[in-house]
Amino acid sequence: MKCINCQYEDSPKNFRYLYNARIDASISMRQCPKCMSTIAVDELTGEVQQIVGPGEAPWGKSAGVESLADDYQKAA
Amino acid sequence: MSVCKDCKSFFPFDDNPQKGDCVRKVTDAKQTYFTAKPTDAAHDATQCKFMQKK
Amino acid sequence: MSEPQKKTVDIEKLVDRQEWWWVAEKMRSKRLDYLRKAVWKKGALGGNYAPGIKVDMEYPVLFTDMWRFWKFDPAIMRRAKAIAHVLDNISIFITDKAQLVGYMGSFPHTILWRVDGASIVNEELYNEPGIHEDPEADNLEKVAEINAYWAGQTAVDKVARVLDPEDAVKFLSGAIGWGAPTSAYGYSGKDYEYYMTGKRAFEDIIEEIDKNIEDAEDKTIGVPGPDIIPFYDKIQNWEAMKLVLEACIRYANRYARLARIVAQHFETDEDRKVDLEKVAQTCEQVPARPPRNLHESLQYDLFIQILARFEAHEGAWPARPDYYHGPYFDKDVNVEKNITREEAIDLIGEFMIRAYEVGGFAPRWAREGLQGITGTWVWTLGGVKPDGSDACNDMTIAMLQAARLVRVANPTFGFRWHPRVSDEVMREVFECIRQGLGYPSMRNDPVLIANAMHWHGHPIEEARLWLHQACMSPCPPTKNGFQPMRMASATANCAKIIEYTLHNGYDYVVNMQMGPKSGDPTTFQNFEEFFGAWVQQMEWLFSTLVRTVNLARSKDPEFYGRPFLSGISERAVESGLDAVSPEGDRGNCWITAFTWVENIDSLAAIKKLIYDDKKYTMAQLIDSLRNNWEGEERMRLDFVRHAPKWGNDDDYVDDIMLRCLREAARFSKVIKCPSGNNWPILPENVSANIHYANIVGALPNGRRLGDALYDGGISPGPGLDKKGPTAVLKSCAKIDHITDGRAFLLNQRLSPNQAAGEKGYQLWKAYIKTWADLGIDHVQFNMVSDKTLRAAQKDPDDYSEVIVRVAGYSAHFVDISRKTQDNIIQRTVQGV
Repeated sequence: MKCINCQYEDSPKNFRYLYNARIDASISMRQCPKCMSTIAVDELTGEVQQIVGPGEAPWGKSAGVESLADDYQKAA
Repeated sequence: MSVCKDCKSFFPFDDNPQKGDCVRKVTDAKQTYFTAKPTDAAHDATQCKFMQKK
Repeated sequence: MSEPQKKTVDIEKLVDRQEWWWVAEKMRSKRLDYLRKAVWKKGALGGNYAPGIKVDMEYPVLFTDMWRFWKFDPAIMRRAKAIAHVLDNISIFITDKAQLVGYMGSFPHTILWRVDGASIVNEELYNEPGIHEDPEADNLEKVAEINAYWAGQTAVDKVARVLDPEDAVKFLSGAIGWGAPTSAYGYSGKDYEYYMTGKRAFEDIIEEIDKNIEDAEDKTIGVPGPDIIPFYDKIQNWEAMKLVLEACIRYANRYARLARIVAQHFETDEDRKVDLEKVAQTCEQVPARPPRNLHESLQYDLFIQILARFEAHEGAWPARPDYYHGPYFDKDVNVEKNITREEAIDLIGEFMIRAYEVGGFAPRWAREGLQGITGTWVWTLGGVKPDGSDACNDMTIAMLQAARLVRVANPTFGFRWHPRVSDEVMREVFECIRQGLGYPSMRNDPVLIANAMHWHGHPIEEARLWLHQACMSPCPPTKNGFQPMRMASATANCAKIIEYTLHNGYDYVVNMQMGPKSGDPTTFQNFEEFFGAWVQQMEWLFSTLVRTVNLARSKDPEFYGRPFLSGISERAVESGLDAVSPEGDRGNCWITAFTWVENIDSLAAIKKLIYDDKKYTMAQLIDSLRNNWEGEERMRLDFVRHAPKWGNDDDYVDDIMLRCLREAARFSKVIKCPSGNNWPILPENVSANIHYANIVGALPNGRRLGDALYDGGISPGPGLDKKGPTAVLKSCAKIDHITDGRAFLLNQRLSPNQAAGEKGYQLWKAYIKTWADLGIDHVQFNMVSDKTLRAAQKDPDDYSEVIVRVAGYSAHFVDISRKTQDNIIQRTVQGV
């Protein structure tokens, strides 16, 4: 896994797991052990998708009538 | 020695002038309020930072 | 354009943008706006106190000094004298522009520290950063000295010494439940029928107590025998009650005196001088004598809540303000026209602000589990009278309108809906929800009246008087019906039931054998065997917590003592027993079942993927869970997506919910409270779903250690309800809301865009009709968009009055942790 903020690379288990973005999708939030950024990670591929700052979300919209997260639609 | 009864903030009780309330107006970061604390008229006020002689 | 016209145009623009918090600021009076902004928030921000909040050191010093002095007195008398000393000597204050007074602390920015409740809380306070006044070192020295005195003799210390050691260790692990087993913490219901109906106030009660003491003293100098022995203690209890009530009257008179001093020596505004004289007269009338008008009625109510908090923490505020203050509102506004409706609403708004201001030091687990608030002040509106007729009145409407003006996160309202509620009232209820307050929650009155009668045997006239004990549980405010000690330790982290079932009772998070060894699940041949182990863990968990609570309740008069609560409770004044004594109490207990639905979804996933489809073995599952699903994302997603989830009207999983609830309901009648009554469960969460996120391990519903648990009660997991709001209601309706448990919390999130205009109201009203027809007992709404919530995360200062419904309570969105905020945003938005 490689942090897209500081480029630090290590085994995924060393990026501290914070919590899931949503339980039914493979996106979660982890923490880079080097720069401490909160990063959104695809747990299936290990790919770091974005840094998550205040007011930002890795999944865009809520589940439900205001439409599903893009990744859920892709996976479904 | 200054004592509480010498202070502008001291308001003695009607039935017992040896005791009274120390009443002050305070403004903090959120509000203005008026506070009262019972005290003895003869209480030593030399160290009191709010002491204001009458 | 004139100023009023400009204001109207500004408000219209804000309404269009649904920025209700700015609308409220423009619409409320200058006085109310000042008071709203003057409040020092005591609710913790994500678990930490706000900058500037400090521990009040006057109370602990005054209380401890007097407690030490009267060391040979019985506990209740000692406590009464210590409380009286505090009430006579603590600093008091009147906020500029206020018409209501009273606070359980010496200054507006202080929080009360209860020294005699629990040593573990005292230690926490010492170590809590930022809350000690300068000079910090001097104050910490004082705290250390006070802690050293109280170590070993607080109420919880005393309970811990007699509790079974295994129960004590497991309870204190923090893994299985919450609370401090003493009436020092938790909260009490109140006997409103005794002191809030205008028939009596403190002077009348003192007269009753005097008579009882006189009669008892006649007996104690009479013919000796076993009959007269109990009277010796009763006389002490009565003397303690009287002593405290007299101190309370003196306390109120201190405010009267201060108001007059300010008017005569400090104030220059003539209108304010008139207000201050009114404050003085009010404080001279109540609580000594019954109220005569709305102002006095509200002040009386406020004084009693404040005075109760000088005696105990009081983590809730059971109240039914429209029912008990309504007659005074009607008299003042409609009949005698002493005040205008606007003036009355302004005063009610201030009353809510005063309540919002209240808060004492709470341990960290309570601050994390109740983020943003100091306790659950859920005030009950609506409902019926003892004869079954509609109890809604003008004050009901005024309360709802005042709530929209002041936008406090606490108190919130629970509305007792019944079929005869008028459209006018329903529109006001909807308007609060539409404007994003997150309250009122809706309670199905006919269902809950029957529920109270079923579980605790309350007669129908008393059951109809019910009000919220805290967030959810109905409680009659009557002589034998009210619950004087609701110890939060009967609060269970139920996700541990399924966790322990999977790991043969072992807790891998806290690394100890917690539950019984219910069997190695890899050896179970079928789902029935697994479910049998689940039942065993459930019974163990509930028994452990209830044993602790029962012991604490029985010992509380000896280990703590409630002279003030006793003095305002008819059965205590009549009997001479402490109000907390189980004698004469009909019992009104319940177990709050946190993290309940994780069990259901996990059991369904196990049944489907392991026992029915045989896609995975139990060994594979347990191995993945022990590794927190690391490297097993596909398997984890399988357990999430390819096993039925609660809230989709799917009998496969809904039947499991019913089985689990009915096992719990069966067991609720086996375990008894000290009064011999039942212990039904009540699924709900407050923000314990965040607090327990790092305490509950990975589960078969797809969660990892660290993920927020579901948001509560019988709410489906966020994003897991895929079939729309009717499916959610249909799932919930399969539960019997009278016999399957005490009550069941349901969070629903609605789209603010759908709520606009008359169409929005009609959609919501149709939803409520469906909810009511299906016999569901509770529902509460969040109606705020993702866009607003994300903006509030980015720029919190601009969104300080945005409110969200967390679980059984509301909070300002900016006061809760990022994780809790994300969890609320994750909740499915339903289209009605």
